Amino acid sequence: MRGKLTLPTIPEPFPKEFRSLLTALLATRGNIHSGRVEQLRARRSVLSQSGTFVGHRRYERGDDLRHLDWSAYARTGELFTKQLQEDDRRAVTVVIDRSPSMLAGTPPRRLAALRLAAVLAGLALARVDGVSIVAPGASNANARFTGTAQLPQLLDHLKQLPTVFVPPLTAVALAMQAESVGRVHWISDFAPVQDFSRPLLSLRRRGANVAGWIPTVPEDEAAPAGGYLRIVDPETRAELSVPVDRALHDELRRQLVLLERQQRRMFAEAGSPLWRWDQGSAEHPRLADYLPIVAACTR
Amino acid sequence: MTLASPQFLWALLLLPLMWWLSQPPKPRRQVLTAHMQQWQLAMRALRRRPPRGSWLRFVLLALATIGATLAAAQPFVASQPGPKRLVVLLDASASMAAESVGVSAFEQAKQALKMQFARLPKHIEVTVLRCGGELRRRHGTAARALQDLGEPGGALQVDLSELAQQTANDDCVVWTLTDGQGSEQLPSMGALTRLDTRGSNAAIDAIRILDAWPLPALRLEVDMVAYPAAGLGDRVSAELQVLGATTDEQRYSCSLRSGMMLTRTVLIQRDKRGGQLVVQLVMADDRLPADHRFVLTLPPLPAPRIAALAEADAATFANAAASALAEEVGGEVVAITSDASVGMLLVDGGLVPLMGGDGLVAKRRALTFGTRLTDSVEPELWRSPSPLDWSRSSPLTVGLDLSELRIDRAWRGILPAGEPFLWRQDGDLREPLGVLVDGGDTASMHLAFRLQDSNLPLLPAFPQLLRRAFVRSYGEAATSIASPIVSPASERDLSVAAARDDRPLPDFAAAEQGLAQWFVLAGLLALALRAFVR
Repeated sequence: MRGKLTLPTIPEPFPKEFRSLLTALLATRGNIHSGRVEQLRARRSVLSQSGTFVGHRRYERGDDLRHLDWSAYARTGELFTKQLQEDDRRAVTVVIDRSPSMLAGTPPRRLAALRLAAVLAGLALARVDGVSIVAPGASNANARFTGTAQLPQLLDHLKQLPTVFVPPLTAVALAMQAESVGRVHWISDFAPVQDFSRPLLSLRRRGANVAGWIPTVPEDEAAPAGGYLRIVDPETRAELSVPVDRALHDELRRQLVLLERQQRRMFAEAGSPLWRWDQGSAEHPRLADYLPIVAACTR
Repeated sequence: MTLASPQFLWALLLLPLMWWLSQPPKPRRQVLTAHMQQWQLAMRALRRRPPRGSWLRFVLLALATIGATLAAAQPFVASQPGPKRLVVLLDASASMAAESVGVSAFEQAKQALKMQFARLPKHIEVTVLRCGGELRRRHGTAARALQDLGEPGGALQVDLSELAQQTANDDCVVWTLTDGQGSEQLPSMGALTRLDTRGSNAAIDAIRILDAWPLPALRLEVDMVAYPAAGLGDRVSAELQVLGATTDEQRYSCSLRSGMMLTRTVLIQRDKRGGQLVVQLVMADDRLPADHRFVLTLPPLPAPRIAALAEADAATFANAAASALAEEVGGEVVAITSDASVGMLLVDGGLVPLMGGDGLVAKRRALTFGTRLTDSVEPELWRSPSPLDWSRSSPLTVGLDLSELRIDRAWRGILPAGEPFLWRQDGDLREPLGVLVDGGDTASMHLAFRLQDSNLPLLPAFPQLLRRAFVRSYGEAATSIASPIVSPASERDLSVAAARDDRPLPDFAAAEQGLAQWFVLAGLLALALRAFVR
């Protein structure tokens, strides 16, 4: 059943307190891992239209047919994909999920997601050459920022990102089209898991170094205690009217634990880390709540 | 489809209310979630379903409501035009008893009616008029069952053609079933079924009975007539038979000329036990047996035992009268004893207590002459009453000549109340000298003078008076023989009948077909289906 749905408005994501906190956070000694781009020339192979040929690897299903080495096929009878080395330096890419499902939670998960993106991008501006904000559906879907001087512009850009549903595969494809990818920080709720599994594997197959981020909300831990509720998925507008009692509360909690396990398993199979971050108080952000981000980035 | 009570359609306005009531309650709190799949899995794990309204359930409920509403509005399919009444003119005249292969034309007509009524739609109003003999009218169910239409007999007393013309209209069909006998023409309107009764017929036109009751002699004068079928000539042979309650059955051969009456006198001796006397005229190939056979019911003959009571000086006259009466009616004179059973008591003078305290005479067959009936009455001597006169209409004295009667003395006050048949005429005043006391099945006659005080025993009318007194003492019904009812002359000649081609019944109006039950059924079906829909 679908009804009229009014999406919640998000409070100011970057108030003065957060901006002060971000400044203090960037002043810490924390680093941000960018996939060894800063120290070495990348040896990884990525899909690119140009670059220096560095070798072959066996063709895998899903590879771009334009990079097939037909000469090698003529010689050996086997399919090989040409691996090209990018000439540009690498940076950090932040992929932020702006789908309506991110509006769920109290406060909405998107508030924490924007602040998390701000911290990650800020760290990248301060520690590496630049950061790309991948936001499909926005006017500037792949915005690149360099230097801490662009931090205000970065925050304004994040603030103005619209709410739009983009399939994860589309977001991934857009991220891989960036001039320099570096490490990919993917901020999302990663639910349902099956929608993200294939894009994540695709990223992995293309050699991207992915880190998953789930800004947690209280609803990830437990269901409402009781009452007759109308449960709405803001993304699909699907509704479910349910009287919540103790049994349902416990069963939903069990399902949420299973979801968390599935999310971890998905990232583990992709060889990527998944971090869950609780922003704490949304009205009064505390530095201690944000330090785990810096710690995770330096691992 | 037409609705007889369309005002019930207002009930359909309840449908929006039903829709609103059929909806589940709406939650007051909304929660956005990114974990709809987990919610659904949790519900499925607990085997729970969210309360929800079902379009299909509402549609089925709405269908049931619509069905009930339309049924209440009494829908029907309008009838097709056509006649809605059937009037049957059934000829039941005597000629309809003519048989063919053992079945009378009347029975054939009833069979045809039964077959047609079985196919007739139930809404057609049926009336059956029995025309001929006793007119009977049957309507509705009784008409369809052909209830109590009797047997054919009598004359056709109505003009079927005119009756059909007057009865038939756009709404009413007339169906005439007749053999054409007794009609100048057959109906030109409506349906017509003509039954063939043509053939030979011999009939007894009349039977005149001369009864010598209580003597066994019986004289029958039988008028016979025959109508041979065309081609059989002008003369036919027949046999008149008198059978049954007679000591000697008799058969007489007759040669009858077509249409000519022949009278035959038959003398028989009745069986004393009574019974049925059959008089029939037998002719070969007679199609109408009803008019050539008559059964007369004869009562048993009395076996009179006559007792005489008289004063000592009057015994001669009393005994002579008793003997004369016994001789006249074939009885016997018996002596009076305490346990004697007598059929007639003849008393001359004296006192016989036949009258009770209420002044009524006990029911006895008695003939008294100058006898006191009770001792509470003191008689007054009445010398030479004159002039005398008698009733010219009383069964006792009708046709008798009592002008020579002379009475020397009589007694006033000894006669009971009764019908005077002999009296002294004094201007307009009549003083009874003889009365008849009618007790229904018995009767007694009382005279105010003794035999020895009059010249009555010497009159020629005396034996006849005694005999009539005896007959009258058995009541009126004892001697009556029901005269047979003969068929009318117009129903005998089966060789001539009005003719016209048969016409079938037209198509009747189709009934209004009510649809309410179908709508009720549809509503119930919808409710039954709804029970299985979740």
